[in-house]
Amino acid sequence: MQLGNHLRATALVSVAVVVAACGGSNAPSLNLAPADQQILRANNGVEPNSFDPTQQTYTYERAVGIQTFDSLFRAKADSSDVEPLGATSYDVSSDGLTYTFHLRTNEKWSDGKPVVASDWVYGWKHFLNPALAAGYVDPFFDLTIKGAGTYGSVDVSSASAIDAYLNGLGLSAPDDKTFVVALDHPAAYFKWVATLWMAVPLRKDIIEQAAGGSFASTDATKAEAWANNASTIIGNGPYKIKEIASKDHVTLVPNPNYWAPAPHLQQIVLYEISDGNTAYSQYQTGALDIIGVPLADVTVVRNDPKLSKEAKLIPTLSQYWISYNSTRAPLDDKNVRMALSKSIDRDKLVNDIEHGNGKSLGTFIPKGMNGYDTSDNAQSFDPAAAKKLLADSGKAAQLAKMKLITRNSTASKTLNQFLADQWSTNLGVTIQLDVIDSKTVTRNIRKGQFDIYGLDGWISDYPDQQDWFDIFVTGSCHSLNWGCVSDTSYDDLVNKADAESDKTKRAQGYSQAQKKLIDNAVVGFMYQPYEYDLIKPYVQGLTVTTTDDQNLPGDGRYNQAYITQH
Amino acid sequence: MALPAATIEQLGQWEVPEQQIGLWSDALQRFRRNRLAIAGAAVVLLLVLIAFGSPLLVQLHLIADPLKQHVEFIEAAPGQNGYAFGADELGRDTLSRLLFGSRVSLAVGIFVQAIILPIGLAIGLTAGYFGGRIDNLLMRFTDIWYAFPDLLFVLVVVSVFGPSLLTIFGAIALVNWVGLARLVRGQVLSIKEKEFIEAARSSGSAPAKLILKHLLPNSLGPIIVTLTFGIPQAIFLEAVLSFLGVGIQPPTPTWGQMVFDGYENIYANPTSVVFPALAIGFTLLAFSFVGDGLRDALDPRMKR
Amino acid sequence: MAVTAGRPTRGALLPSQLSAITSTRTGSLAIFIVRRILWMAPILFFVILITFTLMHLAPGSPWDKAGGRQLSDTVINNLNIRYGLNKPVTQQFVLYLWSVIHFDFGLSYQYQNKTVSGLLLESWPYTATIGVLAFLLIIPVGVGLGVLAALRQNTRIDYITMGFATVAASFPNFVIGALMVVVFGVLSYRATGGNFFLPTAGFALDDHLIMPVLTLALLPIAYTARLTRASTLEAIRQDFVRTAWAKGLPERLVVTRHVLKNSLIPVVTTLGPTFAFLVTGSVIVETVFSIPGIGRAFVVAIESRDYPMILGTTVLFSLVIAVANLVVDVAYVFIDPRVRLT
Repeated sequence: MQLGNHLRATALVSVAVVVAACGGSNAPSLNLAPADQQILRANNGVEPNSFDPTQQTYTYERAVGIQTFDSLFRAKADSSDVEPLGATSYDVSSDGLTYTFHLRTNEKWSDGKPVVASDWVYGWKHFLNPALAAGYVDPFFDLTIKGAGTYGSVDVSSASAIDAYLNGLGLSAPDDKTFVVALDHPAAYFKWVATLWMAVPLRKDIIEQAAGGSFASTDATKAEAWANNASTIIGNGPYKIKEIASKDHVTLVPNPNYWAPAPHLQQIVLYEISDGNTAYSQYQTGALDIIGVPLADVTVVRNDPKLSKEAKLIPTLSQYWISYNSTRAPLDDKNVRMALSKSIDRDKLVNDIEHGNGKSLGTFIPKGMNGYDTSDNAQSFDPAAAKKLLADSGKAAQLAKMKLITRNSTASKTLNQFLADQWSTNLGVTIQLDVIDSKTVTRNIRKGQFDIYGLDGWISDYPDQQDWFDIFVTGSCHSLNWGCVSDTSYDDLVNKADAESDKTKRAQGYSQAQKKLIDNAVVGFMYQPYEYDLIKPYVQGLTVTTTDDQNLPGDGRYNQAYITQH
Repeated sequence: MALPAATIEQLGQWEVPEQQIGLWSDALQRFRRNRLAIAGAAVVLLLVLIAFGSPLLVQLHLIADPLKQHVEFIEAAPGQNGYAFGADELGRDTLSRLLFGSRVSLAVGIFVQAIILPIGLAIGLTAGYFGGRIDNLLMRFTDIWYAFPDLLFVLVVVSVFGPSLLTIFGAIALVNWVGLARLVRGQVLSIKEKEFIEAARSSGSAPAKLILKHLLPNSLGPIIVTLTFGIPQAIFLEAVLSFLGVGIQPPTPTWGQMVFDGYENIYANPTSVVFPALAIGFTLLAFSFVGDGLRDALDPRMKR
Repeated sequence: MAVTAGRPTRGALLPSQLSAITSTRTGSLAIFIVRRILWMAPILFFVILITFTLMHLAPGSPWDKAGGRQLSDTVINNLNIRYGLNKPVTQQFVLYLWSVIHFDFGLSYQYQNKTVSGLLLESWPYTATIGVLAFLLIIPVGVGLGVLAALRQNTRIDYITMGFATVAASFPNFVIGALMVVVFGVLSYRATGGNFFLPTAGFALDDHLIMPVLTLALLPIAYTARLTRASTLEAIRQDFVRTAWAKGLPERLVVTRHVLKNSLIPVVTTLGPTFAFLVTGSVIVETVFSIPGIGRAFVVAIESRDYPMILGTTVLFSLVIAVANLVVDVAYVFIDPRVRLT
């Protein structure tokens, strides 16, 4: 999942953390506040760039997307499997190439019309229209859905070319309640793809009405006109948008036509406060119910007798690492990379610099996911071994010329000054920081113009390993594999495991792949970030799950939350 | 008929050398008598001494190494764990960083004003004195200069010329001279209509002489205010630049960056923002006292 | 006047009318204003040209993300086509100028499908409200404090004013804002159990405005006070003021009749820049107090390289600044009638 505007991560746990008392449906002990007080006010940080889920890539966009639109499935609270939303069940053909989704029979749009299979076909095609250039197309759909592979070569200035491409996709609706997806190659993880927030149905009639009639598939402006206006954002999710107060807040109210029992919360207001200190003061003066605690204030909250009781430390399914440019000497030497990775005291990093918001982790897959395995300690902190590796390589002088490219955010600057200090203390090598404007950093790492870059990382889109191992396959350079490492044996392992339907064999494949990443020091694995949130005690029934947003714990299941008398 | 002309000539010859000698020794006397100005000068001197001497203080073990991290003492309060002024987000000694911060921050504050002053004076005086088409063109030029985004400008300037101290001084100065130029122009416009200027003009004084002798001293007060207020602004701009990733690279401490970092920790450690801000405040105050003292000293009307 | 004597032809009317107008001071003022308004076209052109060039020189593209997985080359290519960025830069510039002439500022890259003019209209009222309120505060408070300090030079009043000005200038406004939030927001809330406190974020036409306006106005007030003090000190030393004192005129009369007019001149000069500061400097206040104004939108646009938004905001800013400077120049004429119009 795309990180938000700052280096923070999404909540993720293997077993659901029930934050407060479990919200049974109408238990007498709920102590519910009156309906007009059933308002949840949380800080989403940034205004979504689009309210069309198919165009959303950031966590703060998805936060609104998943409330207003349901995909076929969602991850179970314990992230062990998927559970039904838009579809109640699915079949896979024996060759693994055809997925048949059986849609929920009583599902309706927020304007009362029934959701039919052709809406799903239309929504997915909207997402895959190359002229709309949706940001999340690439990593997922085009490689797996039949006919989607030519996405990149479609002439986006020609409506007929686009139409031909879209009509050739393996998406069909044999009847109103059956949605069939044909795949190009077997993908054991495809049920997880169906949980993604951008894989939703859309309403052709509404979109065309907002565009002022039918339009050419080249016309992105008309195709997106509907998403500007709360009245034309008709979704199938549990909530609908009541108000979009630009750069201030979005107000959600229950979708009266939703299939599940009506929620307690009558309003969810997602504020767009970008300054952490401001959100913190708003929480303390009672204007917000849920915030992510700014890093600088974590210690203050821990030591505050009142606030510490309202704070929750929530693990996330993410991992941070240092990228090495393996095309530049001496970083092309695996031992040099390993020396750098082994000389960082990750416990200090987590406990002191990150104020305990995380778990030091020298391996790839974060705790809480299948594949979490810390048995390979090749990268773990060992200054003596690190020094020896570097001395043996004889490249210390060369290494001292390397620079650590750093984004200009306070979080990155603080962290990277710590890394440089660790290398100078534990390895005896002085590596200068190179703090640059964030856009420039992105441009440089995309072009491979850097030595060492940190920290970057990944948040699970869904709790399946395929989402992680694809990051480092050959050809994924300039996406997140900045070091541009290429290892065909790794590629083979990952590609096989991706297609493998046997769970044990699949896990073995990924496990071998992970060992290669660690042992070759492709990147230096650092730590799994945790989220530290403040939740007012009168907010109850929040179930924090694997797929929640960083600042919005429980946002996947808001329909069980409620406000108590206070 | 010849007499008046000769008298004027004589007067002129007799007056100028006397005034020059008297002016400077008088000025020095007046400056010395101004206690605030002397105090300001003393503080400036002290700051310069600190800037040059702080590495020595570290070598003598009088202060801690400003770059040494003690992550176990992050955001220590003043007086805690042996940190007289507390510690920052990486457990580095705030006192030592304050002293070292004077090096870059003083340089930025002063050199930027030193670049702004000639540009602002030249354009402001030219526009104000000559008026007409020249004034109009110069002022429309300042309108343009004002309007385009300086953040973007600085980003591009630094990415083209590379981040060095000189580029940073230049970039800050280039986005900041407009205010002074307009101020000087305004002063000149209003002063040049006054009787004594008219008199000097009609007696045939050269424009350059007029400007230097009469226009400049009479607008000195507001210029000093603008320049001294410019010092903290330049120090902060340096911090903004490093926020954009084009300023002084960490871990080198600067007061502006310390204020910026302190802001994030305002709940955890409020003094981390107050100390560097006070340091900037003292610098501003010292320079404005010196400036005021200089103005009074150079103003012949202040003779008592 | 000859004009009323009959119905002369257009050609005949104009020169005589013009000379009739220019012969009066109001007339030359009118022509001065018209000329300055006509000047705005070339100013805007150069502002757009420079901003456009800077924008394309600045490293990074609108599609680079601030972290995490980046868009694929295919998607970036399609986005460039979608927003016309695949065309030659000169062609893009001409196209942009052409649409600006038709008051079309294009679509934002960042906020999908929102027009730049729509976004500007959305955020302008917030910035304008806070800026104008701050502006109204600056002149009386700043000038008042400055004159007071100068008249009571080297007394306690003078020192307090100077001290305040120094503190206000050496604490950047986001720190002052944050300190106010801590004291009047969080600590007051805790001390009074939520009965008395100032709201710490958001916009509404009530007590929400107090802290943002104060935060924004503090530095200009300090600067104006110091400037007024300096120019008042100069004014007091002028011969005619000394004469007025010597004549035994009451202090209030001397100040209002003689001193104030002279000491206001540098203040008026800086009002243009001050106004520009209020508009462009609003970004920090808007971030600290989470107000959806134009300053924040502008910085976000620069950070995300939202080209049309950068251009649109810059054009708006340059218009505001040009108008403010024009108003200042006109104000001169009234304060100092000796000033010649150019």
